[in-house]
Amino acid sequence: MELILNGKKREVTDGASLTALLNELNINPLRVAVQLNLEIVKRERYNETVLKPGDRLEIITFMAGGAE
Amino acid sequence: MEKSDVLTFAGRRFRSRLIVGTGKYPDYLSMQRAHDASGAEIVTVAVRRVNLDRTQESLLDYIDTKRYTLLPNTAGCYTAEEAIKTAILAREVGLSDLVKLEVIGDQRTLFPDNEELLKATRVLVKEGFVVLPYTNDDPVMAKKLEDAGAGAVMPLGAPIGSGLGIRNPYNIKIILETARVPVIVDAGVGTASDAAIAMELGCDGVLMNTGIAGAKDPVAMAEAMRHAVLAGRLAYLAGRIPKKLYATASSPLEGMIE
Repeated sequence: MELILNGKKREVTDGASLTALLNELNINPLRVAVQLNLEIVKRERYNETVLKPGDRLEIITFMAGGAE
Repeated sequence: MEKSDVLTFAGRRFRSRLIVGTGKYPDYLSMQRAHDASGAEIVTVAVRRVNLDRTQESLLDYIDTKRYTLLPNTAGCYTAEEAIKTAILAREVGLSDLVKLEVIGDQRTLFPDNEELLKATRVLVKEGFVVLPYTNDDPVMAKKLEDAGAGAVMPLGAPIGSGLGIRNPYNIKIILETARVPVIVDAGVGTASDAAIAMELGCDGVLMNTGIAGAKDPVAMAEAMRHAVLAGRLAYLAGRIPKKLYATASSPLEGMIE
């Protein structure tokens, strides 16, 4: 299914959970915050959060930088 | 210097009064070495979308979170709303409940939009954040931010990355006279003496990024800044001599050879 991840279209496995997606992307869940359709998803709910076609997902972390 | 001379805000204690950043380094390794050389205990980070290209290295691989306290910033935010959303996301990562609050009013000077900054400070303080707002050297604004519950006030020395040093020490001195929270100069430090001057005024700390990261030798500059902040603090605590227009001789007038 297709969803929008960090502003770009992406194909992911049908019925994938957030945990599964983070795994697939090799992202450490302890280093990110996730926003699904403008709502923050609490980390303890990643496993039970099932993604649907058209979902807008933002995966945020800490990057180098200051004033931009 | 007493062992108890520590930087404290919101119930946290830090031995180092130098806060450093993570941006503009040539690479992560030099950043890591510079952090080490600086003696800093607090490091600022930006809040951004994760890089999905997994061949890229990750910033957090180069910052030992057991050694450093992360201070997420809201760099790039131009409204209170953007800054609040960014701060909330930053806290969700779970590595820090501090926020270096930046709400920018102008793209060229990167001066703060104080109106939006105050709005965001009030909301985030209510949400339980320790808010460290980047502001200008206006004592009236500094008092408002303090009254709004900011954990410290951070007046700029000069525009971000400008290296112009402490442009208005007089205003910063006025802020220092009435502030009941730490005053940390943030932005504009270009070289070691700038940091020392800030500390000699009586500031509680100095925050800098470009001054170190943009130097020809960031690691050496980080070490210089470490010394500068220490020297400035010691000089402040030691109590300098007053400035006088005329000389006062150091040697006695008696016993002169004729």
